[in-house]
Amino acid sequence: MTKYAKLIDEKDNVATAVADCVTGDELTVKSKGKETLCKCNHDIPFGHKIAIVDIKKGDKIMKYGEAIGSASQDIRKGDWVHTHNVKDDYKVLDKDGNPLPGQED
Amino acid sequence: MSNSRKGGQKMKFYGYPRPDGKVGARNYVALIPSVGCVNALVSHIEHMVRGTKAISHDQGCLHPPADTEQVVRTLINLGKNPNVAAALVIGLGCEMAAADQVYEGIKESGKPVDMVVVHELGGMFETINKGARIAANMVFETSGIQREEFGLDKLVFGTKCGSSDTTSGLSSNLVTGEVCRIMTENGGTFIQGEICDIMGGEYALKQLCVDEEEGEKIVDAVRDLYERGMAVGADTRGSQMTAGNVAGGLTTLVEKALGANAKGGTVPIQGFLNYAEIPKGPSGRYIMAFPGHGFENLTGSAAGGAIVHLFTTGRGAPNGNPIMPAIKICGNAKTNVSMRDHIDVDVASVIEEIETIEEAGQRFYEYAISVANGKLTRAEILNFDSGMEILIKGPVM
Repeated sequence: MTKYAKLIDEKDNVATAVADCVTGDELTVKSKGKETLCKCNHDIPFGHKIAIVDIKKGDKIMKYGEAIGSASQDIRKGDWVHTHNVKDDYKVLDKDGNPLPGQED
Repeated sequence: MSNSRKGGQKMKFYGYPRPDGKVGARNYVALIPSVGCVNALVSHIEHMVRGTKAISHDQGCLHPPADTEQVVRTLINLGKNPNVAAALVIGLGCEMAAADQVYEGIKESGKPVDMVVVHELGGMFETINKGARIAANMVFETSGIQREEFGLDKLVFGTKCGSSDTTSGLSSNLVTGEVCRIMTENGGTFIQGEICDIMGGEYALKQLCVDEEEGEKIVDAVRDLYERGMAVGADTRGSQMTAGNVAGGLTTLVEKALGANAKGGTVPIQGFLNYAEIPKGPSGRYIMAFPGHGFENLTGSAAGGAIVHLFTTGRGAPNGNPIMPAIKICGNAKTNVSMRDHIDVDVASVIEEIETIEEAGQRFYEYAISVANGKLTRAEILNFDSGMEILIKGPVM
């Protein structure tokens, strides 16, 4: 059975698996009718993300066409992308753009 | 092509006209307690008189003034909701949220409204005797109101996501965003909120605001939530990302927020609304300061004037609201089987790429219009719609 991952926006560098995937599975990445292939380097559960291109440490992780965080290490195409290799950069900011107190890295 | 259809989409609906020019999807006599102390009595009247809906809640007393004001505003605006044909306010007599204030507020709408106060009448039996008779006469007078055809300028939808999972941001929320686009482009009004879910995506929403000051109010609402969390020792950024979210594949708060914000798509935002505030500006998309928690959320949406609520879910949230039908839309194929008694619209097809978001959006839009026209939702059919609460900030005295 073909396993799929969904790419939401063309600017995205991760897709979301919509099947439970295991290492070595060849996923079909679907984006508005277009299909590409991506081989899983890790087990990737349903709803989790797979890198569809190589992402360098510090680069933005893109989903919905927006940056959702940044890579905390180099990520290869086909890698599972989750909290172990993504840094959540979000902070609540004051009007001058400075983080409100209590948000340490 | 008839003038009621545009691009294959129905651009009219059939609703109940109200004296203030608004239009309802339902035709209830609302029983509105000004304070939770009289809920039992209100429930008796609801069971005695067909056509009534109890808007029971547990607030109305021992609040700081700002909360009393918010409770009164909410109750007035629930009474003004176009799904309400007439309202009976039931007070105890010593509460902070005074029944006569609620009564006077609803009266502005021109609808039939009356009031009974337990301390004045002398207890439950006397209040039921008078109140049930008033309610019965209200049903007698209003139940014959006929639906008429209206344009989308009279249509107000609300939205929220609840019991979400990874399918929400991939299907149901995106499909709902398409409904937002269709209905606002044709004159409708769409109310979205859930400040907790906006957290992480507040700047993306600010960019969609037609007025930068209104956008800054959205960011302020997020700051307020963060600061109030810190005041009780909680970093709301962390508590908003649940263990279930992370297990389900959500990695960051921004990712979660963008998936939640998708319920309004990229539709421009006309303004920010306080909790339970009725939009006064032009039609279009609004962001209300309602929380994610279902009861306070649906109440805020109904008080804002939404006549139908688009409720996206992943794992299956069953609850509705007493006066505002809530349509459950779900993209999780497993949930659509296991929770089939509670789900109205199945969009797992979007995940399987059987249907595009645009196609599913049109299908959902037409379904929502049919609910506005009178089709009952699952939550209504199951009477799973009595849950109600009003947002307060506290402290409770």
